[in-house]
Amino acid sequence: MVDGLTTTIEIASLALAVWCLVSTVRDQPMVVPHLVAIAVLELLLIGQAVVSTVLMVGGERPAETITFVGYLATVVLIPPACAVWGFMERSRWGPAVIAFACLILPVMMVRLEQIWDPSVL
Amino acid sequence: MSSESAPPSASAPASRSGPGRVLVAVYAVFALAATARAAVQILTRFDEAPLAYLLSALAGLVYLVAAVGIARTGRTSHRVAMVSCAVELAGVLVVGSLSVFDPAAFPDDTVWSRYGSGYLFIPLVLPVLGLLWLRRVGRLDRAAQRTA
Repeated sequence: MVDGLTTTIEIASLALAVWCLVSTVRDQPMVVPHLVAIAVLELLLIGQAVVSTVLMVGGERPAETITFVGYLATVVLIPPACAVWGFMERSRWGPAVIAFACLILPVMMVRLEQIWDPSVL
Repeated sequence: MSSESAPPSASAPASRSGPGRVLVAVYAVFALAATARAAVQILTRFDEAPLAYLLSALAGLVYLVAAVGIARTGRTSHRVAMVSCAVELAGVLVVGSLSVFDPAAFPDDTVWSRYGSGYLFIPLVLPVLGLLWLRRVGRLDRAAQRTA
């Protein structure tokens, strides 16, 4: 886990959540710019996952490795899942699902951070 | 904000479209969260709080049934979803109350502990929203059948 990257992901995710809530209120479906933002978020998450994996292989282990890996895998799967949801629901409720997912992501990042280094609680 | 959103097409009132889609997404996340948490707890330290961990597993299962029930069309699926929403509501109220008044019974947290405060009280709100949504879909369904 790299702190700077975690913070970037949290801010990006919250920004996307706000944007999607605005789209929901304005009665707009998911559009290409939403997808681009989701892709950027996904790249950041993959970066975090790769860095964490390299660190873990290098011997730096979180206290609960299974839980950490489970959370990390789930977090990486969230953006693609909400993109699929946006395609299925071509109404304002597509962005609503993405907004919900983007509000969960920062919470999960905080949990990941706590598991990685319990001292920063 | 636009006025009342258009009702689903009268011929096929699908519970999974529109706001239902959001409900299914939230339920899916809770199913995953509760089940995964219970799985790790049961596999690594079942002896510490067997009741709490089994409850987490049960909660995960109920969330999963509700998600599938809302996502599917048809009266039976909706009835199943309604029952699981009711079970959730009862669960969060009973377990929530027990964890507040008799904390010793729950040494470790479940999704329903303290009325779901560890999960932003979403476990308390979710079954209510689920029941309201299913009731709305059921009404549209019956109205569509009368006009058909």
